[in-house]
Amino acid sequence: MAGSSNEKRRLIWPFFLILILHCVAILLFTRGFLLTRTELSSFSHCADISQSPCFPSPLEAPSTCSSSSSPRNFSETDRVNRHERGERCWTKPAIDRLVIIVLDALRFDFVAPSIFFDEKKPWMDKLKVLQKLAYDKGSSARIFKALADPPTTSLQRLKGLTTGGLPTFIDVGNSFGAPAIVEDNLIHQLVQNGKRVLMMGDDTWLQLFPDHFEKSYPYPSFNVKDLHTVDDGCIKHLLPSLYREDWDVLIAHFLGVDHAGHIFGVDSSPMVEKLEQYNAILEKVTEVLKNQSGPGDLHENTFLLVMGDHGQTTNGDHGGGTAEEVETSLFAMSMKKSPASVPAALDSSVCKLDLDGNKMCFSFVQQLDFAVTVAALLGVPFPFGSIGRVNPEIYALAAGTWNQQSTTNTNCKDWLNLEEWMQNYAHVLCINSWQVKRYIDVYSASSVIGFSSEDLLHVEEIYAQALNNWSNSVQKSFLSGQETLNDNFASTLSSLEGQINTYSNFLASVAELARSKWTEFDLWMMGAGIGIMLFSLLVHFIAFRRAHMLCQATYPSVRASGISSRVVFAVFMVAMRACSFLSNSYILTEGKVANFLLGTTGILNLRYSIMENKMLTEAVAFLLLISISRFIVEIGLSKQAVSAMLMSTYPLRMLGIDESHFFWVFISEIVPILALVFLAYLLYTTTSGSSCWRVFKIIFTTATVLSYMLIAVHWALESNMLEIPLVLEGIGRNSVPRIIYAIGCGLLVLLAVAQLFKQKGKTSDYKEVLVIKTVTMLSAWSSTIIILLGRQGFLVSLVSIIAGWCIIRLENLEQDTMNGFIGATDILSVTQWSLLAVSLFYLTGHWCAFDGLRYGAAFIGFDEFILVRQAILLAIETFGASHILPILALPFLVSFKHQCCGSNKKRGTLFIKLSQVLLMYGLITAVTTSLTIVCVTIQRRHLMVWGLFAPKFVFDVVGLLLTDVLICLSSIYYFSGIDE
Amino acid sequence: MEKTTAEASSDQNVSVPVSIWEAFRLHLICGLGLAVAFWVAHNIYSIDLISNPDQTLFLIWVIETPIIIGVYSISRWNPKQCSFLKAVGHGLLGIPAGAFLNAFGAIVLGAPIGFLYIKRTISWSLLMSLFTFAPAASVFGSSWNNWQRLFVYAKPAGIVDYMICLPAHGTVIGAWLGAWPMPLDWERPWQEWPISVSYGAIAGYIIGMVASLGFIFMFDRRRPHVKGD
Repeated sequence: MAGSSNEKRRLIWPFFLILILHCVAILLFTRGFLLTRTELSSFSHCADISQSPCFPSPLEAPSTCSSSSSPRNFSETDRVNRHERGERCWTKPAIDRLVIIVLDALRFDFVAPSIFFDEKKPWMDKLKVLQKLAYDKGSSARIFKALADPPTTSLQRLKGLTTGGLPTFIDVGNSFGAPAIVEDNLIHQLVQNGKRVLMMGDDTWLQLFPDHFEKSYPYPSFNVKDLHTVDDGCIKHLLPSLYREDWDVLIAHFLGVDHAGHIFGVDSSPMVEKLEQYNAILEKVTEVLKNQSGPGDLHENTFLLVMGDHGQTTNGDHGGGTAEEVETSLFAMSMKKSPASVPAALDSSVCKLDLDGNKMCFSFVQQLDFAVTVAALLGVPFPFGSIGRVNPEIYALAAGTWNQQSTTNTNCKDWLNLEEWMQNYAHVLCINSWQVKRYIDVYSASSVIGFSSEDLLHVEEIYAQALNNWSNSVQKSFLSGQETLNDNFASTLSSLEGQINTYSNFLASVAELARSKWTEFDLWMMGAGIGIMLFSLLVHFIAFRRAHMLCQATYPSVRASGISSRVVFAVFMVAMRACSFLSNSYILTEGKVANFLLGTTGILNLRYSIMENKMLTEAVAFLLLISISRFIVEIGLSKQAVSAMLMSTYPLRMLGIDESHFFWVFISEIVPILALVFLAYLLYTTTSGSSCWRVFKIIFTTATVLSYMLIAVHWALESNMLEIPLVLEGIGRNSVPRIIYAIGCGLLVLLAVAQLFKQKGKTSDYKEVLVIKTVTMLSAWSSTIIILLGRQGFLVSLVSIIAGWCIIRLENLEQDTMNGFIGATDILSVTQWSLLAVSLFYLTGHWCAFDGLRYGAAFIGFDEFILVRQAILLAIETFGASHILPILALPFLVSFKHQCCGSNKKRGTLFIKLSQVLLMYGLITAVTTSLTIVCVTIQRRHLMVWGLFAPKFVFDVVGLLLTDVLICLSSIYYFSGIDE
Repeated sequence: MEKTTAEASSDQNVSVPVSIWEAFRLHLICGLGLAVAFWVAHNIYSIDLISNPDQTLFLIWVIETPIIIGVYSISRWNPKQCSFLKAVGHGLLGIPAGAFLNAFGAIVLGAPIGFLYIKRTISWSLLMSLFTFAPAASVFGSSWNNWQRLFVYAKPAGIVDYMICLPAHGTVIGAWLGAWPMPLDWERPWQEWPISVSYGAIAGYIIGMVASLGFIFMFDRRRPHVKGD
């Protein structure tokens, strides 16, 4: 007895070793590759400014110390404080109203004059109106080259623009599914401070800010092929809104250029048409604004921003960090004529003379600076997590609007004007620096992975220096007032300049630190992760060989397996699949590739079966099944490619069938239920045949059949086939799934308990026990997975059962070539099993992207959102059919293979074989995942790294860990019979 | 297994002995036929595989069919019981059957289906069948054992066997490999179904012919030893 339990331990420990190795490797790699950032739930408030060192007299500001951690309890104290302090909150508002027109994927060369580029392309100089406004004499408009930070996808960029931070691939926060921004952001601040925000266009804004807007006209951004819906909607509402008074900030987000780029590329006539259309609209908008910009008019103090959220390559792609994608443009225009002049040190503009000798310039701005600049202009608190700097050039454009009054009154000279502006700007930067410093402090205190202490110390030093400067020089001049200015004007100006420089220096160093933390990879960590991963593969292989030796040593009857053609094929298939991950195209079509390889193994099997002249039916059935599954996978892939038109017409309309016909509705309702009946029948026949675990079996069969019936009831309730009173429906909709989950959990607990108190030595047929164990395990999981998968669940379960059965049957092909000996474990069938699992993942309508998750499934049976519960449901839905069921069903590969009834010796081999199969399955998954990791490392600068490789990496890694855990659990569960 | 090899060797006795030069000539004719077909397509009809895949494939098939069936029917397995015309008939019958199997295989592996692709799939599978099935059908008719020996066990046992087996396997493997560039995002016209697959198949066929000549050469050198024993 002791010997056999020892043997059991010897079989089980490699699984745990491998699990630990994988965990370490993935942890290290992920630390280096997936940059994470913790979202803070702190918010800026008007009153916070009293803590800043920027206001000379503490008496001016109220001494209330607001702890800024709760997002919602803003209104009362804030408003009161604002009244006490007049209209001013953090900065003096420079503008009253703001119009932001976002043109998605606006490349820099769409806006900038073509003289800045080597060669004039057809898409350049189409937005003539912006150029004209920017280069007219005396205009207060400017063109900027705006530099975005990768990932350059719309959602991440909008988040970055409004929070003033650097969104990483995974922002650790408490948003799940819904991408709503929970951090402090510009829109939140606007709303808190009584600004009314009007939004029109891309509905992504509404996802990000579900209940911030005063009024919104969202249009779906989903369909890439639709160039006009969003734009037309925007146009319809934009111009009339400009005449209205009921908003303070207007956001119009046009999508046409982005979609035209995605479909036709930049160099195409639809793109040029789109740009010309925008030119016409912008002309009208600026006209309206200008006409209304007289004193006392609606747009007297309005500021216009026309900007892109990111650029695009000439193919229309974006997401990565290449110059084309990162460089977008920003056009800023103030309605007032005289902009404040910017000191040369702050002027970043690049100028060129055009053919007529006119000087044309553009300046640079970081998108990071957008949120804080707009906040400073409108006079609202800066978003808490913003690390940007108030851009001097944009600030100067608008700051002219309140300078004007003072200049006309006091009749000051230019330099005085300049000095006043600089003093203002230095003051704004002081607030800016204080706010950034506060964020850095809070972040490093609260985040798990904060900044390193060296970096923090460095930043601290710069800040201290800047602060010192401020209190020494500028504050003095603040207090002494205007009279001293004339005397030592030069020294004041230079000290102001120095002050601005120290602040800019501080802000730049923080931004650099944040960039290195949030956008740069740690290659050492990644290398270490890959190293350990490869080492774990070696360990895996050694463990596999060891199990094999064990098998041979203990039971010499097992023939040494030479390298048969099946082994070669299997290795070749796995190698092909693993290598295919090196290209983004194969990752995109992974489902098809898996099906291609599965089909190839099917054809090979057909060949073997002709060779043996038996089981032809199974081989052909397997091939037919694969061809069916490939069509379903293709429909799933077309869903992914957002070709909605194809999706809706593909399956039935092509055959000329009207889907709404009663007959088809009836069929689509009744077939799933029939499939369930079939499943229940199958379960009954498999369990009733054997003689062991009698009581258990009855409990299990009845419970599972009961939950299948409940699933049928659930489906019937969902559809409108039966007329059911509303009350009953309301109860049934949630309680039925819950009962099913409860039954599933109950059965699992029962299995675990039975494991502890099992009856000993009653049966001698361990193969049968193993089958029963597997069947009970699968049936415990099946009902939950089927209901989560929804109506396609029946199809998937049928496909997997038939395909699995075919693989198991066909596995015997090799055994028989061994002339009745117990053959070595068949690698080809395990490979097929694993390929089948991959196709099942795609068959169930998933793909390796976060929009491939079916969030709806998380809410089957529940209405309200609880993170852990919904995450578990979503995980079961995503990985249920492709990981949980195939791995738990692996013992079938062993137990059906052994035809003769088990003697004691055979039982031993049975378990060694089972461990071999588990090891092999794990090895196949580990090899493919390692290749994914290597490929992600190679492609880390690839265009699609955030769009494609990173999601693939996350899915594969989660899949691998899940596989390891499941293999460990099933080794404990299935090997428990060994020590009897 | 023993039984089949025994039969195979007995088959070998009845079959017409084909010399290495005859094999070389036969492959040369087939290869030249392929070249002529491409030349005709390019210069007379001015079409190519990329612009008009279905028509080009069909044209190649039309030109190559009489050549391949003709030359293989000459070296048929049992000329005494089976006339030349009968062998040709076998070959012609074999083509649609093989085309069906090839098309089925392609669809299982993921060939697109739709009105757009039906013509292409048909022409492609006819050509595939011509390279793989027609020679065997002409030579062996419906002798199951010989078919099994060549296509299931892949154990050729004679010059004719090599001549049939290797080009056929080359065609299938070439077509399989030819499918791999299809999903890549290079956006070249030849990545469409079945252009790259056809290129792969034709390349595989030619490589198979060359390889079979090599094997026949080695086989021929070994044969005197066998006879000596």
